[in-house]
This record gives sequence, structure tokens and C-alpha cells, in this order.
Amino acid sequence: MTLIRMCNIHKYFGSLHVLNGVSLEVTKGEIVAVIGPSGSGKSTLLRCMNQLERIDQGFIEIEGIVVEAAGDVGVKITATPQEVKATYRKMGMVFQSFNLFPHMTALGNVIEAPIAVNKVTKAVAIQIAEKQLAKVGLLDKKDAFPSKLSGGQKQRVAIARALAMSPDIMLFDEPTSALDPELVGEVLSVIKKLAQEHMTMMIVTHEMGFAKEIADRVIFMDDGIILEDSSPKEFFGNPRHPRIITFLEKML
Amino acid sequence: MDHMEYVLNILPFILSGLKLTAKIYVATLVIALPLGLLAAIGKVNGSKLIKKILFIYTWVWRGTPLLLQLFFMFYGLPVIGIRLSPFAAATITYALNYGAYLTEIFRGGIESIDKGQYEAAKVLGMTYPQTMRRIIIPQTVRRVLPTTCSEAVNLVKDTALLAVIGMPDLLRISTQIFTRDFDITAFIVAFVLYLMISSVLVKLFGKLEEVYSIYE
Repeated sequence: MTLIRMCNIHKYFGSLHVLNGVSLEVTKGEIVAVIGPSGSGKSTLLRCMNQLERIDQGFIEIEGIVVEAAGDVGVKITATPQEVKATYRKMGMVFQSFNLFPHMTALGNVIEAPIAVNKVTKAVAIQIAEKQLAKVGLLDKKDAFPSKLSGGQKQRVAIARALAMSPDIMLFDEPTSALDPELVGEVLSVIKKLAQEHMTMMIVTHEMGFAKEIADRVIFMDDGIILEDSSPKEFFGNPRHPRIITFLEKML
Repeated sequence: MDHMEYVLNILPFILSGLKLTAKIYVATLVIALPLGLLAAIGKVNGSKLIKKILFIYTWVWRGTPLLLQLFFMFYGLPVIGIRLSPFAAATITYALNYGAYLTEIFRGGIESIDKGQYEAAKVLGMTYPQTMRRIIIPQTVRRVLPTTCSEAVNLVKDTALLAVIGMPDLLRISTQIFTRDFDITAFIVAFVLYLMISSVLVKLFGKLEEVYSIYE
């Protein structure tokens, strides 16, 4: 089942053509690693999926519902704004800079959206939150404010916060890039745990070893286009494109 | 006459002045704080027209003397047929003046919040009003507390301008007693009272800052 379909996406930042006709499908349960040099459009691609950036051309379908269409693409949004919103809610996102709410405890961060958006009672929200915090191994830190947590712990709380909304797909935007090297492992192992539960994931990352180990598909982006879309085995074992060979030589 | 007895004698008058000062003070803050917050949100995220209107508002009210604004409200409005009670005229003037300053303070506070906070709230499905109320404003309040405190103390002192437009506030009553008795005791009492109010305010804001900084 196709969860996400992006069709011929174009995105400009001023005169900069960040996404130059990107098409992509993600099926349920798939784990897609997006890699490529900085400025290649990886993060923008991810951010276009949940409307943090608006596309200039193309269309995006999530679970069969057109949620965004721009330019002359012959596709229109037929769903109501409420349906579109509900569809977006099925996507969780984890940011490079965590973006935890600093004025709330770890638990407060995780119960916030279930209460505000899903309108569950506080007691139910706490139940959900404690389960998710336990999953990321931070139940004992539930009363700590983000300022008292390490980077790795913050990112794990951020993952729990996203999971509390029971998303069908998780988007990770360089989840370990802001972490000290010794803290990367704890975040990656949480993501691996999600992989074992067959969570659909799209992960922008610079961790080549991790991508190789966890991904079903590797997408290599360069200059706003998808240069390669293949299995990790194929991608790392037999890179064809000279740009990819140079990139991998630099990274590994 | 025994000095203590004199103080006790004039104290009821002075306290009646203090009462007016306090009333105008509280009424001003009750209006100016929400006004400043709403106008700040409008300045950050309003339509072009709203932004233009708010620009003119803060430009005019911050760019002219408060005393002149009071004169306009007291002597200018009746000329064009609008008659307000002195209390209403004074409160409106102070509220609009302080609202303008608070608008700029709150606007700066809101704009200092990282845009990642909006993005996190958005991907969790929160609406704009929810994001402002639950995520942005609480963090803004913490950041603007120190500046808001000094505005609150300024307002205590600015209420003394009421004396100039003839309202029987703390300063005017003290002045009247001074002219009547030719004794500066009333001034000393007023001096102490102003200082006490300011000190209580500073303490109060200090406590608030403590409460709000638990997460730092």
C-alpha cells in the first residue's frame, strides 16, 4: 500500500531551485534513508511532505488523499480541509534541533498534542505518554525539563512526543546531526526499535552505517533531483554514479 | 502639635489620594496588558491592514509625551463633543500609552521564540491559536517579565501626572496639604508610599520570574 506519493515536485527558495522535479513513493512499512551532500534538497523534500515548506509545483498524495497540489498538474485537492489536516496528523516528525517545548517537562511535551489535538483526557494522555517514554527508555526522566536532559535524551523525548500521536509514518530530519558522537547511538537504537515494529520511516541522515543497516531503500539526492533510488546493498556495494562514488568516499 | 499626631491627621487624606492612584494603576494594567499582547500578536501575524494600524498606534502613542496625551483627553475631547469622566479619560490615556509600549515589548518577546517551536507544534497538529496560547505565549511571558516589571514601576510614577490635570491622586493631595500647612511631612509620606509600592512590585515580579524560570 502506497502511503506517500510525491509527483514531480518543484520547490524554489527565491531563485534557488531546491527541488527540481522529484517523484517518490513510499509504501507501508518501508524504511527509506535519504542521503546526499548538504544543500542537495534532502531536508526540503522531507519538509515538503508535511507542509513545513509549500511546494511550487507538483502534487502530494498521502494514503490516497491529495493533500497538496500546485501548478498545472491536472490534479486537484478534493478532500475537505479537515480531511487534509487529519491526514497530515498521521505523519510524525523529528527535527535535527529537537524543538522540544522548553517550558514543559518531558511528560508535558508528550501529553501536549494528545490533549490539545486529539482531545483525550489528561489521564489517558499520561498513559499514552508514559508508554512512549518507556519505549524510548526515559520514563524515569518524565518530570525533567528539557534543559536538564542531554541531547540524546532530548531527541528520544522528541521521538516519544511524535509517537504519542500514533503516526502511520515517521519523518526524521537528520535526527543525530546535532548530537555529540557518544550520544548518537542511543537515538539510533530507538529508531531501530521502531524499524523492528515495522514503522514506516523516512530518514534524512549522514550516518552511512546506520542507513546501510536499517534502510530498505536508499535515496541519493544531489542538486534537487533524486540521483539514485535503490537497495542499500546495491547502493553501497555497487555505486555507479560518479557523484555517489565521490560522496561515499568522503563519508566512509 | 506632636509630629506623629500630625501624620495620623493627614494620613486619611493622603490615603484617599493613594486609593485613586491605585485604582487608575490597576485599571490601566488590566487594559494595557491584554491590549499589548493582542496588538503584539497582530503586529507579528496580522494582515497588512492590521499591521499598518498597529504601526500608527505605537508610533503615535510612543512618540508623544504622556502629559500631552492626557491634556488632549481632558481638554481636547470635550471640544469635539466627547465628554468622559476624569477617571475614564485618565484610564484610557494611560492604558493606550502603556499598551503601546507593552506591544513593542511583547512583540520583541514573541519574535525571539525559535521558529522550530512553531514547526514542532504544527507537525503535531496544533492550530495557530493553540500554538500561541500553549507554546509561544508562555515562553514569551518568561522572556518579557523583566522589561514588563520596569514598565509596571514606571507606571506607578507616571500616575503622578494625574496631579497636573487636577485629579486628587497621591501627589496632588500631598501637594494640597503642603500648601495648606506649609509642612513637607505630606511629601515625605507620599515619597515613602511611592517607594513602598515600587518595592512591592519589584518583589512581586521577582517572584514571578522565579516561578517562570523553573524550566531553565
